[in-house]
Formats: sequence, C-alpha cells, structure tokens
Amino acid sequence: MSGLGELDRPETPAGPGAPGARGGVGPEQATSPATTSASDPEAAADRKPAAPRRGAADPVKALMHRHRELCERAVDPLEIAAGLEAHGITDRTATRFRHRDVFSLAEEMYARASRDGDAPPSAAPAAPRARADWALLTLLPGTLCAAAVAAVHLTHGQSRLFAAAAGTLAVALALRAALRRGPLSRPDRTAPGRATTWTTWLVAYALLGNGLLDGAVAGGPDSLPTGAADGPWPLTATPVLALALACAPAAWTAHLFTARARRKLAASRDLEDFAAAVRPLLLGIFALFLGVLTVLLTVCAAALDEPAPYAETLTLGALLFLARLLTAHGFAYAPAVVLTATATLQAAALAVVFTSRLPGCGLLAVPVETLVTTWGAGTVPTLACGVAALALLVHATRKLTRASAHAPPEPSR
Amino acid sequence: MRIGLLTEGGYPYVSGDARLWCDRLVRGLGQHEFDVYALSRSQHQEDEGWIPLPPNVRGVRTAPMWTAEDDEVVLGRRARRRFTECFGELAAVLSGASGGAPPVARGAAGGASVAAKGFAEGASAPEADRFANALYGLAELARETGGLVGALRSEAAVRTLERACRAPGAHRTVREARVPDLLAVAAHLERALRPLSLDWYEDDGLGAVDLCHAASGGPAALPGLLARHFTGVPLLVTEYGVRLRTHYLSAPDAPPAVRSLLAAFHGRLAAEAYARAEVVTAGNTHARRWQERCGADREKLRTVYPGMDARPFAEVGESPECADPDTLVWVGRVEPAKDLVSLLHAFAEIRKRQPKTRLRIVGAPAGAEGTAYLGHCRTLAAQLFPDEADGPHATGDNPVSFEEIGGPELPALADAYASGAVTVLSSVVEGFPISLVEAMLCGRVTVSTDVGAVVEVIGGTGIVVPPRNPRALAEACVALLRDPARRARLGAAARARALELFTVEQNIEAFHGIYLEIVSRAPIRRVVLDEAGAPLPFAVPAEDHVPIRWAAPSPSLVVRGGPGWAARPVRATTPVPATAPEGAR
Repeated sequence: MSGLGELDRPETPAGPGAPGARGGVGPEQATSPATTSASDPEAAADRKPAAPRRGAADPVKALMHRHRELCERAVDPLEIAAGLEAHGITDRTATRFRHRDVFSLAEEMYARASRDGDAPPSAAPAAPRARADWALLTLLPGTLCAAAVAAVHLTHGQSRLFAAAAGTLAVALALRAALRRGPLSRPDRTAPGRATTWTTWLVAYALLGNGLLDGAVAGGPDSLPTGAADGPWPLTATPVLALALACAPAAWTAHLFTARARRKLAASRDLEDFAAAVRPLLLGIFALFLGVLTVLLTVCAAALDEPAPYAETLTLGALLFLARLLTAHGFAYAPAVVLTATATLQAAALAVVFTSRLPGCGLLAVPVETLVTTWGAGTVPTLACGVAALALLVHATRKLTRASAHAPPEPSR
Repeated sequence: MRIGLLTEGGYPYVSGDARLWCDRLVRGLGQHEFDVYALSRSQHQEDEGWIPLPPNVRGVRTAPMWTAEDDEVVLGRRARRRFTECFGELAAVLSGASGGAPPVARGAAGGASVAAKGFAEGASAPEADRFANALYGLAELARETGGLVGALRSEAAVRTLERACRAPGAHRTVREARVPDLLAVAAHLERALRPLSLDWYEDDGLGAVDLCHAASGGPAALPGLLARHFTGVPLLVTEYGVRLRTHYLSAPDAPPAVRSLLAAFHGRLAAEAYARAEVVTAGNTHARRWQERCGADREKLRTVYPGMDARPFAEVGESPECADPDTLVWVGRVEPAKDLVSLLHAFAEIRKRQPKTRLRIVGAPAGAEGTAYLGHCRTLAAQLFPDEADGPHATGDNPVSFEEIGGPELPALADAYASGAVTVLSSVVEGFPISLVEAMLCGRVTVSTDVGAVVEVIGGTGIVVPPRNPRALAEACVALLRDPARRARLGAAARARALELFTVEQNIEAFHGIYLEIVSRAPIRRVVLDEAGAPLPFAVPAEDHVPIRWAAPSPSLVVRGGPGWAARPVRATTPVPATAPEGAR
C-alpha cells in the first residue's frame, strides 16, 4: 500500500484541470524527485547559479525579441498565442513571465509589439507564364489552313473535294486543340461549349456566304461551288485563312491582357483604380489584335491574289476575338447569345432571298437585294458582325474591367 | 436516436482526419442510427474513397469544399439587394467597422487591440449578434434562391468587401487591403460559406435527425448551426484539435489584411458555434482553454478524452516482468519537435551513472525533415556512444538503437513498450501524447517533458520534467532505473489510470451519455397527433427506437412513428420558432 503514497507526492502534478497547481514555481523544482533520490550534490550546485540567469527586469522583452517576427506580423493576440504554443511555450512557462496563461502573455506581447513598419507589399499573383504547348498549338490552325488552301488550289475535280474536306477537318481539329489550353481556354472545361455551332456557321458564311448571296440575288445558284475563286459560286478563302492565322496573335494578345491585368491588380489600391487602369488596356489589346489581323489579311490577299475584304473580315475577327476573350474569363452567356443572334441574322438574310421566290413574297427580299446591289454582298455579314462586335465590346469594357474577372484561379488541391 | 454526424475532411474518407475516432464511435453506438454529412477537402481525398461503413450508418451525403460547380443561380433584384445587405453586414463585422456605434470610442489608444480581441472574449455581444444575423440572413437567402456560390464570387461581393474595409472604424491592417487581398478574402469566404448553398437542411436531411454532432469545429459546425437555425436540431461540437488554432498556424504567408479578415471570420464562427451548441467537448484541457477563450460557456464544456484500443496492450500490461530492467524506450514519429538530441544528451548522462543502460528509439521519420533529423540523431548517437561488446571476442554494438515497428525484432507496437523498463518522452511540442497513453496501457512507468497535455495524461503516475533539460530527464530516469519497486508501483498505477480514462469504451460511453443528455433537454420538434387531431404527449421519445432492424423496408416510419401497434399516428411538425430571436439571442 505504501506505493500509493507515491501518487500524491507534491512534485508530481495533481492531475488534469490543475495546470497552475504548482503555482508559479520555476521548472527546476520539477526535478526534485530525481534530485532527492539521486542525491547528487554536484548537480544541485550547478543548478543554483542557473536560476537567476533569466531574472532580467523584463523577461517578456527577451521573449519578444526571440519571437519578434511572430509579434510583428500577428493580427491578433490569439495568433501570437498559437505561435507561442507551437514553439513549446505552455501556461507553466508563462508563469515565468508573470502571466496566468499563454493568452495573457500573448496579449502583452501583442500590445507591446511595434507594428509601425509598413506592411510588406503583397506579392503579385503570379502572372501566367507563356508556355510552349499552347504557343505551338495556336500556330497549328493557320499552318493547316494554309496547307489546305494550297492543296485546293493545286488539285482539280474529285481530289480537290477530298483535299477541301480533309483540310476542313484538320483545321477544325487543330482549332479545337488550340483553344483547349492556354489563355483562350474556358475556365471550366466541364461546361459544354455553347457557341460552337454558331461560330462554325459564321466562318462557313465567310467562306461561302457572299458567293451564295450574290448567286441567290442573281437568280442562282446554278451549281455547287467548285473551289475556285472565279467560278459561279466563288469561294473566298482569304478571310478564313487570315482568321486561322490570327489564332496565334489572338492567343498572345489574350495572354498579354491577362498578364498585364494581373500586374495592374497587384498595383491598384481599390476597384475603381483597377477598372480605370484596365479599360485602356482592354481597348489597346483589341486594337492590337485588329492591327495584326489587318496585316495578316493584306498578306493573305496578296498571296492568294484575291481582293481583301477588310470590313467583313475585321468585324468577324473582332466578334470572334471578343467572344472568346469573354468566355475565357468566365462570361460565357453574353457571347453565346450574341453569336447566335449574328448567325441567325445572316441565315435570315439568305432565307429571305430564297423565300422571295415564292409567289406573293417578292417584297420580303427588297431590303437585302437593295443592300447587295448597292454595296455588294459583303455588307450583310459586315453589318451583322459589326453591330455584334460593338455590342460585345461595350459588354467587355463593363465585365472585363471587374477585378473578380481576373481573380487568380482556385488551387485545386 | 438518429444522429447527424458532420465532418470536414474527415470520417468516411480513407485519408480523413478523425476517421478512426468517428468509426469507433459509430460502431460503438450500434443502437443509434447515423447520417453522415461530410465535406471533402480535396480531389485526392475523394478519389481515395471511403472506409467500410457499419450498417447503422443510414446514408452519407458529401459536398466538396475544394471546388464549386457554378450553380448558375441568377439572383433577382430584391435578392441581390438582400445579399448585399447581409454580406455587407458580415464584412463590416469582420473588418471591425462599426455599424452605428460612434467610432470615436475605439479610436482611443489601444482601440485596435481591444476590438481585435473582442470576439475572443465574448465582450462584444452586439457584434456577435450582427455576425450571426448576417450569417443566417445569407443562409436563408441561399435556401430561398438555391445557392449563393455565384453571388459570393461576384463583383458585388468584392465591392461590398471593399466598402466594409474602407468604412470608418475598420482596423488599420484591414484598411490597407489591396485588390488582390480583397479577391483572396472573397474567394476564401466563398469556400468557407459553401455549406450555406447545400440542400442538407430540408426535412429529409438534417431536419430529420434528432441531434447534430460536429466532429470538428469551424466549417464542419456550420451545417449544424444552420440546421439548428432552420429546424431547431440541437448541436454538439467535438474538437480534438482546436480548429481556430489550426487556422492560425496554417496560413502564415498571406498579407496582413487577409489574415486579419479571415481570423476574424473563423474566430466569430467558432464563437457562434460554441454559443449555439448545447454541449462542446474538448479532447484535453488545452483545447478546452482555447474554447473557453473563444467564448464557450464553462457549463457546456466537457472534456472527453480520446479513446485508445487497449486490447493490443493487454498482454504486455498484465505481465510487467518481461521488461528488460536496463532499457529505456522512446516511441513516436521522428521529427525535430520530439527533441531526440536532448534525449541523447540525457542518455549520455544516464550512462555515466548506470553504465549498462541501453536506449531504443522506435519510430519512423515523418517527412523529409524527419528523415534529415533522424540522420542527424544517428550521427550524434554514434559520436556520443562508441560501440561496445561484452568481451574481447564478441562483436559490439551501439547502446542506442534506432528501430522501426514491423521488423522481426518488433512485430507490434506493444513489443516496443514491452522491451523497456521506462518509456521516455522528450518532446518540446506535443498535443495529446498518444505514445504516453500506450506506454501507460502497457503498465510502463514514463518520464516525460512537461508539454501539451502530458501532465493531465500522466496524472501522478510518472515523472514530469521541464522540456529542453537533459539533466533533469537523466536524473528522473536514473532514479527510476535504480528503484524497481517504484517502477512497478507507478507502472501499475499508470495502467489503471489509462484503463479508467483513455479507453475506447469510456469515450463512447461519454458521448452516449452526452447524446441522451442533450436530447432529454431539447424541446420536442415533432408532435404526434392522435386521430382527433389532439397532440399525444410522450408519443415519440428519442429513446423509443428499438435497437433491432425491422424486416419491413420502411425505416422512416419505424423511426418516426414508433412501434407498429401505435395505430398509425399522424405526423405533424411544430412551427419553427421565429427566426428573429434565434439570431438575436
């Protein structure tokens, strides 16, 4: 039974809930059982002078010096308390600093810490780096399209048909691959693309639409397109080639926009600042893209020896670029609506011309025929795309100047 | 009884935090039914799958906290205005901006620090109410509109946050928030408030349970708070590690404005959870002190020690004579916080006085840092202690051996403790020292440093020395090595204490008691009406659930309606108490 007396020895702590049971004794006393039983005078002698070592007038100051980084960056006392505990300071240690517990010690340290130093500038959100994969992939549609156009020019008859089909397929796949990654990719891949059909229609119209409309107004078309630019249903390959080549500059300008916007994000103090800084950036990027597209169009026209339809290609390019830029920043709804409306308008113009051939419907086509005979077939897509692009530009200046559009992507842990 | 178990990055997942404890609890309380509501923490965690669930888990509903599918909810004009109001109020509370109180008073010296610790002390009751009102306002809005994920990510949210940060009375650190900080805070709040957008609070979800048990504080308690708000389900919060403290330690690199706002949010959320919970349990005194500090009432605090499975240690614990009288054992994960260097120095001291002593260090390194530390310790041991042999013709070896569990020498954990006469713990930082409890279950006397929950675990059954004091450690060890009788006495006392306090059974029993206590005090939320429409008092006590499985596949009727002979009662729901006093209390 004598053994149970051991449990009540004063040097062993009384149990849970009584952390202060030893009431402010220095830690040295805790070793007393060992000392008494070992009865080592040497050790006891050593320990005596060690006691006043920390007995300076202000023990907290030394502690604060040791944890000064913690004190300087703490936003409230509990943060200091958590940090101190992580460094092994307990309530019993806190008694050495004449505090009841770590919390009150932390409060004193928080109150005494100097937080005058300027807050370190918040690290800019890492701007996305240009990466080789998307940079190369965006070159692919242009290259393949150029190859397809060359193949169509060099072949005849049925092989030309095969070349055109293969070229279309290749360009479509390349475009899909190019838009899957890089700055023009959609933020959430899971959502289905809403505007793919209508984008395809718009591009197809740029390729075939003017010839069809011309032919329709003149009473045709009498034959299927042959693939030649001078046939009865001419193929206008220049805008499509220029647009395909413009994939790369579109991706680069979008990348530039993202990177610059991130930098502005880090530099601006409030949301108004940010909007004011991003608006000219957006317009500049847009103008840059149009400039590059113009150059590409000129070069393509010269290479293919065709007239360059500047107005309709530039409006279509602007529309597609803005739509993709908005989609890439998470605003997929408005671009989808606008693209659908534009494509519907173009389709309606064609349909009206064909409907007017029915008896009694002749009046329907008057506006379209007037347009086509006065200014040419290109005015229909120019007007449709121009209005749509303008609408999207206004929308983009409102949406893309918001800070939330440029929030760094969530880390998917 | 039907219990909604709320976890965050925890129970049913293989890599969950407190899965072992939750699993034992669910299996141990087979007479109750559990609905598990789990928030998962990462894609990786979801991919790893669940641990096998016992049959009394009726269902598991999960929601990701790491990604949000855009809910495509477009708020109407009125809903938008309500959102801006509620979120603005929330942001104002977080930034410390005063709603109507004059900011002059707190502009005085030290005002910032007083305001900063306001939530911690529970001193600012009106502020806590504003937070609660804003939170529940957002929750109601989310319930009506179907989700707030889009709204919380929108520009309106960022703009509201900015306005709150620039408002008069906002803390200095918060006022310096820049645009990236605002975006970071908005994104974090959106993630943290994601439970608001879940559809868990209907009558087929948390509305149907008798009790919500949040397995950790913080985000896991949020669904419980909402269930309590919407349907009056009582809430029990269990914290083995304080979630708020983890938050402070886990986000050290963010800018001050972000840390300040997020700390305020988590602090207020914790305070709200403690205030609304019927009972808050802590794993040890340390956690309990933090909870008290964050505003938990002393009356609702209970300490429920974690339970350990005593069976693997029973054989060793009942045969104390198998110990080698000259061996010290250290068991744990090797990492710098364990301060093995100090242990080695202490052992050098011990060897001077007891030359035949050996030290076994058993454990695997934790991470790259741990591996480096283990290498460092091996080198130090080789330098301090030369290899030694029994005689001139024997091969020698080092008195300090580094081993791992699972080898031929030590097939199980209990063997490690069994091989030594004294178990040593030399940590400088420690939470709840599992290895000490294991040593106690093995009936081994312990010498440990005074860190974390060591003192309350040990009680009087071992020797406690200050940390970073090799000489004290050595003296305590030598004292025990020289005194076999005292060793045996203390070892037996340690085993008795551990069997009394730290077994799985006591843990489960404690929670069972708390469940019954809470339910007995909770108001009846559903009354059973007889055929004339008059209420039948005491028709559905919480304990009426017979602990067997009915063959008939209508569990809900059995659970709610009582036994089959009870003449098919009509179920009705009492009206939920008005929401205003709920938030304002």
